[in-house]
Amino acid sequence: MIRRDMLKWGALVPALAGVPGMARAQAGEGLDVLLLDTRFGEGPLDDMGAARVLTFAGDVTKVWYEHLDRAWRQPGFVVGGITGADALFVLETLARQQGRKVVARKALEVAPLAGDIAPVSWVIAPAHPSVLA
Amino acid sequence: MSVLPPDLDAAGFAAFLDDLRAVVGPDWVWSSDEDMHAYRDSFSPVWNTEEERHASAAVAPADVEQVSAVVRVARKHRVPLFPISTGKNFGYGGPSPNVNGSVVIDLKRMNRVLEVNEARAFALVEPGVSYFDLYRAIEERGLKLMLDCPDPGWGSPVGNSLERGVGYTMPHFRDHFGAHCGMEVVLPDGEVMRTGMGAMPGAQTWQEYPYGFGPDPSGLFAQGNFGIVTKMGFRLLPLPEYYRTCLITVPKRRDFVKLVEHVNYLNDSGLIGEVEYGSPLRAKMADPQVMALITKAGGVSDAELDAAAEAAGLPCWQVELQFLGPERATYENWTFARDRILGDIPGAQAIEGEHFALPASEHQLDTPQQPWPSAIKRRRSLGVPSLGEWKIVRDDGHIGFFPVLPRDGEAVFEMQRVLGDAMKAFPTLPPFFNALTTPLLWHTHTFQMVFAPSIKHDDPEHNAISHAAMKRCVEVAAEHGWGDYRASPIYQDAVADTYSFNNHALRRFHEQLKDAIDPDGIVAPGRGGIWPRRFRA
Ligand SMILES: Cc1cc2nc3c(=O)[nH]c(=O)nc-3n(C[C@H](O)[C@H](O)[C@H](O)COP(=O)(O)OP(=O)(O)OC[C@H]3O[C@@H](n4cnc5c(N)ncnc54)[C@H](O)[C@@H]3O)c2cc1C
Repeated sequence: MIRRDMLKWGALVPALAGVPGMARAQAGEGLDVLLLDTRFGEGPLDDMGAARVLTFAGDVTKVWYEHLDRAWRQPGFVVGGITGADALFVLETLARQQGRKVVARKALEVAPLAGDIAPVSWVIAPAHPSVLA
Repeated sequence: MSVLPPDLDAAGFAAFLDDLRAVVGPDWVWSSDEDMHAYRDSFSPVWNTEEERHASAAVAPADVEQVSAVVRVARKHRVPLFPISTGKNFGYGGPSPNVNGSVVIDLKRMNRVLEVNEARAFALVEPGVSYFDLYRAIEERGLKLMLDCPDPGWGSPVGNSLERGVGYTMPHFRDHFGAHCGMEVVLPDGEVMRTGMGAMPGAQTWQEYPYGFGPDPSGLFAQGNFGIVTKMGFRLLPLPEYYRTCLITVPKRRDFVKLVEHVNYLNDSGLIGEVEYGSPLRAKMADPQVMALITKAGGVSDAELDAAAEAAGLPCWQVELQFLGPERATYENWTFARDRILGDIPGAQAIEGEHFALPASEHQLDTPQQPWPSAIKRRRSLGVPSLGEWKIVRDDGHIGFFPVLPRDGEAVFEMQRVLGDAMKAFPTLPPFFNALTTPLLWHTHTFQMVFAPSIKHDDPEHNAISHAAMKRCVEVAAEHGWGDYRASPIYQDAVADTYSFNNHALRRFHEQLKDAIDPDGIVAPGRGGIWPRRFRA
């Protein structure tokens, strides 16, 4: 079960990274939430197929406190994102605490922000038996 | 990078893990490389070197009974445990232990807010409760209480205060260990003890009177290794009615001495919250001439800095003051502070800043409108946990040396000069100590300065420089009576060594205690520089 999920979400990451055309439209399929870090551009905020899209600009506090923290207290819930590596570090650390892990990640070929913050696409999925759906 | 606990072979380790699984269940013990990655110190300057400290396994008990049972299992197998609460001790070792092969006892599952009492202004929490959790408990119940949190809110009141961590509201709440009241501890033999009034069956005052009767051992559990804390009480600030800010500037370098004395008075009288000292001249640091001046070997003279300030049309120093309390009281306190300082320091100026009723709105929290470039971080100043501060983390993290110095302007000048000169041996690092470096008033009654060089996972040379600079800072500071307040495991021996009065009487006392209650070093051997007999041998 965990392995199958990991493969599925692992395959998704290049699509999250890829952006154009059809691939983008479907990239988020199966995600409960897609997080977009608007420091890398506002972009067209379509849902890419994700159940819900949330945006933030570097600081994950609100999306985590108001959405993810609550959702991660229940089994299941898969989150994908295109964010700065710094924001992913914070989310990954929080996710671990709640039995989840980054099952796939891909550095994106976009110029880093000042301070060398590189964008990365990723998927965080339940890993510990206590939170598997 | 698999490691084994000291003195244990693979078969013994497997038997030990089986015993742990029998206590907590198979899902709550981890030892694979992948799982143990989470227990490395991702801010380590010795990342991927021989010096990095690795845990061999981690175990997450669900309650105090399981903590006791884990301790008994560890005792049977002579395996050192390393307790963490939320394990976010970044800059000071993260979740990594002092001794290679230790087993992390991760208390994240013990995450109940046991009590929040509004009328008597306290909380009792388990170690896995984060500042966010406690904030949520207060917010959801609509209680009129204010937290005091560290910059990142994902840490725990228990873990943070046991590291003597700090926050940003009123003086007696910023010192998080100082604001604790009562604890429950599992001792190295598995026994459960309560401190203060918690030791008296039926007492209702555990979170109100910290001492009980007789000696109070609670200090031994902060930066120590005498037990595993499973509950802790904290005093909370009744939600103040109003928040007010102001800026005071003084023109000349030496005015800083008087400015500090006034701010000390205001702080010690309980009239102000956390303060932000700064220098408006920092805005000119990109100017090579200004940079050369403020990093000059031997320090700057008053005349030199005054001339630079005059040329730039800026005052040498500023302090941002924050007031919390009833609206009228904050107004009176601000005008009192202004009149007191302006009446004493020629050329001092004051600007009134934002002020509003509490609780603050989201807009007030997110978009400060100060009429000056402000260093105040609104959320932390108002006890609202945040993760926004993560943006100050550059490269892959940093290490922290925060020397304690007297709350005195002359002492600040001396530290700027002495540590500034000493750090010239490390020219690739930013000049943390320079003629514009200002002190922090985090703990209730003392100053600290910041030295926080970055680390980079893929640049061992850079890390080696940060590491060497850190050790040098500890040495040079100690020669002047300035001690680090908190250190990561790889520096704890060096720091403890500087607290050496009377042939290390303090360390010898700690060792005697450790030998008496934990000779095999079951609880965090080496933490705080305290080693039991087994590891001293
Ligand atoms: C950008 C940034 C800003 C920061 N700002 C601040 C700040 O403003 N204030 C501040 O204080 N810190 C700050 N820190 C440092 C650190 O992140 C916090 O102090 C954090 O709260 C500590 O982690 P924790 O609360 O998870 O404690 P833990 O990591 O759980 O515990 C800290 C240590 O205490 C001991 N310990 C923990 N729990 C127990 C227990 N139950 N029994 C016995 N011993 C135990 C262990 O030795 C452990 O390593 C900052 C760090 C960064 C990177």
